[in-house]
Formats: sequence, C-alpha cells, structure tokens
Amino acid sequence: MTEYQLLVQRYDPEHDSKPQRQHYTVPGDHTTSVLDALLYVQHQLDPTLGLRWSCRMAICGSCGVMVNGIPKLGCKTFLRDYHTDIIIEPLAHFAVEKDLIVDMTQFLAHLSAIKPYLMNDYSGTAVHKQTPAQLAKYQQFSNCINCGLCYSACPQFGLNPEFLGPAAITLAQRYNLDSRDNGKAARMPQLNSKNGAWGCTFVGFCSDVCPKQLDPAAAVNQTKVESAKDFIISMFKP
Amino acid sequence: MNIPDSARKPYQSELSRWWWLKHRDYRLYMLREATVLPLLFFIGCLLYGLYCLTQGSAYWQSFQLFMQQGWVIALNLLAFAASLFHAKTFFALFPRVMPLAPAALMISGQWLATLLIATGVFLLFGGWL
Ligand code: SF4
Ligand code: FES
Repeated sequence: MTEYQLLVQRYDPEHDSKPQRQHYTVPGDHTTSVLDALLYVQHQLDPTLGLRWSCRMAICGSCGVMVNGIPKLGCKTFLRDYHTDIIIEPLAHFAVEKDLIVDMTQFLAHLSAIKPYLMNDYSGTAVHKQTPAQLAKYQQFSNCINCGLCYSACPQFGLNPEFLGPAAITLAQRYNLDSRDNGKAARMPQLNSKNGAWGCTFVGFCSDVCPKQLDPAAAVNQTKVESAKDFIISMFKP
Repeated sequence: MNIPDSARKPYQSELSRWWWLKHRDYRLYMLREATVLPLLFFIGCLLYGLYCLTQGSAYWQSFQLFMQQGWVIALNLLAFAASLFHAKTFFALFPRVMPLAPAALMISGQWLATLLIATGVFLLFGGWL
C-alpha cells in the first residue's frame, strides 16, 4: 500500500460562496482508481463529499472529473500513474452543484437538440437490413457514453455554452451516416449554424480525452464538410 | 417550506482570457494558429517585391538589398519553419476528417505531393524548366 495525497475541490452551496480545496491522504495500490480513492474518502474520512458514479467500469459515463486539470473518468484513471499530489476538481465548463457534481442540463439539451434517433418512412415490422460496410461507416461514432469529458476539454464550449459541442455533433454525424436514416435534412440547419459545427476551431483536445476513442474532433470537422456541401447545393436549388 | 429547487446555488466559474495557457494541448493549438503571423510577413515581402518589379530596376535592386538583411532572412526562415509546422498538423488532421485511405499512407502522400510541387515551382522559377 502506498499513500496518496488528494486535493479535492469542495463546494457546499448552502455555506460556501466559492469552491476551495481539501486535502485527504488515502491508501492505494496499483489497482486503486481515482473513483475508489474518492469513495474511500466518502466512506472512511468525510461522508459529506459529493460525487457521481455508477458502473465503475467506464460505461455509464457518470464519474467524470478533472484530474490534474485533464478531464478523466474517475473509474478509468489510476493513482499509480500519479507521482505528485493529485488535484481532483469537478468537470470544467459546467456549473458546480456540490463538490464534484456538475449540472449537465445544457449538455443533455444539446444532445437531444440534434434529433438523435432514426428518422425514416419505414412502418410496421419491416426489417432494416444493414451491411457490415454500412455499419462500419458510423460505428465508431456510436460508442459515446455521454460522459461530457469532451465538453470539459473544449474551450469553445467554455466560452460559449450555446455551442452544440463535440458529443452532440458527433451524435448527429452518427445518425447522418446511418444507412437506415433519412433525417439529415432535418439536422443540417442546427449543424450549419454558428453554434453548430462552425463553432469548432479544431483545438482537438476533445479527441484526446474521449475515453471511448470516438474522435469527436474528426466527426465535427466531417460535419463542416457536409455543411459546406449543403450550402453549395442550396445555392443551386430554386 | 423549502422547495428542493430553491436550495440550489450552482457555482459557475468563468473561463479566463488566458485559458489557452492552461494545457500543453491548448498551447500547441495556439502555436498552430500563430503560424499565420510570420506568414503575413512573408506575403508582405512578396507583395513588396511585385510592386518593386513594376517600378523599374532601381526599385528592384533596393528590394534585393532589403531581402538580404539578416533580420529579413531570419523572419522568412521563421515563416518557412512555421508553414512546415502548420503543414505537419494539417496533414495529420486531414485523414481523420476525410478517411479515404490508411492515415499513414495519406500523410506520406501529402508530404510527397508537397515536395514534388515545391521542387516543380523551384525549378520553374529558377529557369531550369
Ligand atoms: S464523445 Fe467521448 S468524451 Fe464526449 S461524451 Fe462521448 S464518450 Fe464522452
Ligand atoms: S462509474 Fe461509470 S463510467 Fe465511471
């Protein structure tokens, strides 16, 4: 067992006017994740610490925190990789409700704004066949776990919360690329706007932090290409 | 009685204008964007040269003297390095946005095309073609 020093950002909306840091010493070995360490704090040292988590296996997307300034999933980040004090803060660019818990309302609103569902004229119980090649076109972009790490990595979202942001635009691209979907025309107006794909300046940090390797930056910039095509085609339409 | 919602007091921190100093990734991004600055100088030189060309040989000679100064050469070398750096970042990003072939192949293809075109232009203006 090694001892690790955690500096955890605390904020109690009932008493604090702004967040401050609190120091905890936690034991850990090579299997201890940041989430394990935070739960140790909550169970053994300080039951008032607020945090979100569920699956502990990088699939529910609820344990996102900033670890030394980088957005990470707490359950997929291990103490063994840190050799100095570990600073743990709530996800950047979101409003903090309490301690490590942020308000993701805006993020969820952006996700639903791009109509993330299949739109087509199929009716009844018809089977929608899809070839492996058609699946491969969008599969990478369909692995999102809605953790929001990419929004904490994105300075454009930090500067302008109206920007649809990496995950939402990636999700739109996921449906636009799906051979069973006909909803692209309905999604393009959102994506064409300045809060859509063009709000992105290709900083690219979102792709580095994505725990599921979706490469949201690539999806956003593919959407820019689509948006440009959409614009050119619209010029020739009566 | 307290309605639960009324106990909320979310804390929103502001992104400072120095956000781009916070991470290595952000600094690299800013460096990529800043490569345009020395390029502007290079374009200025080019335009000045064209202007001198239209004004006769006295002007042209003064342009050549201008271009031979140490600081002008240094700035143009900087512009050259900056455009190579920008090309490197661009070539790496392109296959991700337009995955037409394996990324490594596309990246080397782009460098090869750049080299060929640059050599062609060089030969053309040097009078060898
Ligand atoms: S794109 Fe990646 S980082 Fe963004 S919400 Fe989805 S899984 Fe998380
Ligand atoms: S606890 Fe579910 S992703 Fe970490």
